[in-house]
Amino acid sequence: MGVGRYPMNLLQALELLKQPVSEPESDRQLYLGCGFTPLHLKTFLAAYLRRCFPKDHIEISTGLYGDLIGNLERLRPSGGLMACVVVEWADLDPRLGIRSLGGWASADIPDIVESARRQSERLADLIKQLADKTPVYLSTPTLPLPPMFTTRTAQAHHSECQLREIVASLATSLSAHGRVRLLNSQLLDELSPPARRLDPKAEITTGFPYTLEHVACLAELLSTLIQDSRPKKGLITDLDDTLWAGILGEIGVDGILWDLAGNAHIHGLYQQFLASLASAGVLIAVASKNDPALVEQALTRGDMLLSKDSLFPLEVHWKAKSESVGRILETWNIGPADVIFIDDSPMEVAQVHAAFPEMECIVFPKGNYQATWDLLKGLRNYFGKESVSPEDVIRLQSIRAGSTLKSSAPKGELNADDFLLGAEAVVTFSLGANSRDNRAFELVNKTNQFNLNGKRYSESDWISFFQDPAAFLLTASYEDKYGPLGKVAVVMGKTFGRKVHVSTWVMSCRAFSRRIEHHCLKYLFEKLDAEEIVFEYKLTPRNGPIRDFFAELLGEANGLAPTVHKASFDANVPALFHHIVEVANV
Amino acid sequence: MSEHDDRLVRCFASVFPMMSEEEIRASNVVPLFELDSLAGVTLVALIDQEFGINVEISDLLKLVSFESISQFVQKGNSFEVSHE
Repeated sequence: MGVGRYPMNLLQALELLKQPVSEPESDRQLYLGCGFTPLHLKTFLAAYLRRCFPKDHIEISTGLYGDLIGNLERLRPSGGLMACVVVEWADLDPRLGIRSLGGWASADIPDIVESARRQSERLADLIKQLADKTPVYLSTPTLPLPPMFTTRTAQAHHSECQLREIVASLATSLSAHGRVRLLNSQLLDELSPPARRLDPKAEITTGFPYTLEHVACLAELLSTLIQDSRPKKGLITDLDDTLWAGILGEIGVDGILWDLAGNAHIHGLYQQFLASLASAGVLIAVASKNDPALVEQALTRGDMLLSKDSLFPLEVHWKAKSESVGRILETWNIGPADVIFIDDSPMEVAQVHAAFPEMECIVFPKGNYQATWDLLKGLRNYFGKESVSPEDVIRLQSIRAGSTLKSSAPKGELNADDFLLGAEAVVTFSLGANSRDNRAFELVNKTNQFNLNGKRYSESDWISFFQDPAAFLLTASYEDKYGPLGKVAVVMGKTFGRKVHVSTWVMSCRAFSRRIEHHCLKYLFEKLDAEEIVFEYKLTPRNGPIRDFFAELLGEANGLAPTVHKASFDANVPALFHHIVEVANV
Repeated sequence: MSEHDDRLVRCFASVFPMMSEEEIRASNVVPLFELDSLAGVTLVALIDQEFGINVEISDLLKLVSFESISQFVQKGNSFEVSHE
């Protein structure tokens, strides 16, 4: 799934880079920090980034040979520059490489270890300072240590272990920084066998240490880190021979299994994995051709590893699975491309895939241990995210609440005010310029429907935007008697006197029909003392809701820059019943 | 021209993107590598990966022309080709 499936060779990389990018949509500047000659790493990295961002102009700059620390000290990141830092043993002490002849005498080893420790600490400080200003994509040493230790190669020397501990500490310390993305050495080990990484000839003759196979893998993984693809949002699972072993309708509630004793452990692993996804905010639903009463009993069995509360909605009946999937998507209010469907029946998988071609549909590999292991790894890749936010934790709760709201909401407009008044809603606004608001960044980059123009931000663009003193970030969180929705709206822009220019405005579809968008504008007018707000509006294939909002407020979405004046807004804004709370945004 | 030669032309063209195929086939590589030493290193790596032949830059410089490099590569790292 993704990484390692389509490796490039050097000729393919060079030929890809020869192709011009006609009318680039944006510029991406990457600083490649390493102590060796960047040579083919720069080529492969540029080629893989071209594959990830085919419409962008990509420029990679590098530093001086043999001076990684100095290169990082001299770097002055500005204007959207990203940094990719590739550390090798020789950067911690040149004697740990093979291009230096500084001595491998056993008496020298303790000094090498201490020197590596000091350099590692210096590197950690520099990378943290850099990451405060720009995202850093980091690889810790991938090459073997030289044969400098006195033990036989089969026996790890104490100093060798100390060196590995130093690198592990460096990785642990830096991985905790919110803007450092650490390359996963376990995946690199799978794709690039450690014994085939060092090219001694290239290292000695040119200062480039990697084999072509290894540098291709390393560059691909780094480009994957930089690409930061959007995680899927939901998973729809079958029950029989998928969530458990056996056919519920044939063997009954007590007959279905998911444990070692019943030779059904892989179903237990699958349940445990889905529970882990659910705890991280992934939506999990059931589409099963089954007897609803039996399923109800089965899901409440005390030894289930996946709580019934984690599953919503449950589509359990005898109708077509594609109908169930359609209803689940409607309840979740997300598109098929954001969802994975899993069923043990190839026929059901084909039927759902035919109805929703953008949906990833997977046959559950019952009875196949290796394939199940690969499935779980693949799913982790699909759903992997930077961190679990408070909104992730309450997502399912708010969807359930939304479902309740839908069923209790008034059909006509006549009593909409009464309904909203009775909802006891609280909107919490936070106005400032805090570029570290990860939830705001996530919302802007994943919201499609209520989205001013579809603009997405790389992490470096995001940081760069808020470096302008005129920039502001407004976020709105929402809660009512049906439950919390978390942070649901983000407005970004710049102020020019009493004129406000809004370049980004998104609101989660879970927050529609609550007039939160109206209150966002009201708040901006008041807090920024604005006379008019100009919107950088652009029609996209999916942003109908914001077009409708402008149409309602202004008569129509007037061109590329709709402008809302305070006087006309005050005259047209519907009644707003939210209780407002303000929190600092720092 | 053989498929072999075509592949070698692709290697040259990827290292010297401003040169046409005709210029590559007629080229003397020594001045090219004098202008751009990284190009020599890259061409050596390409020949290694594409043809499985371990070649040194010094070998390429001795071979001088595209034609003699082509002969060298076809014979699989043998110096029985004439050095111009």
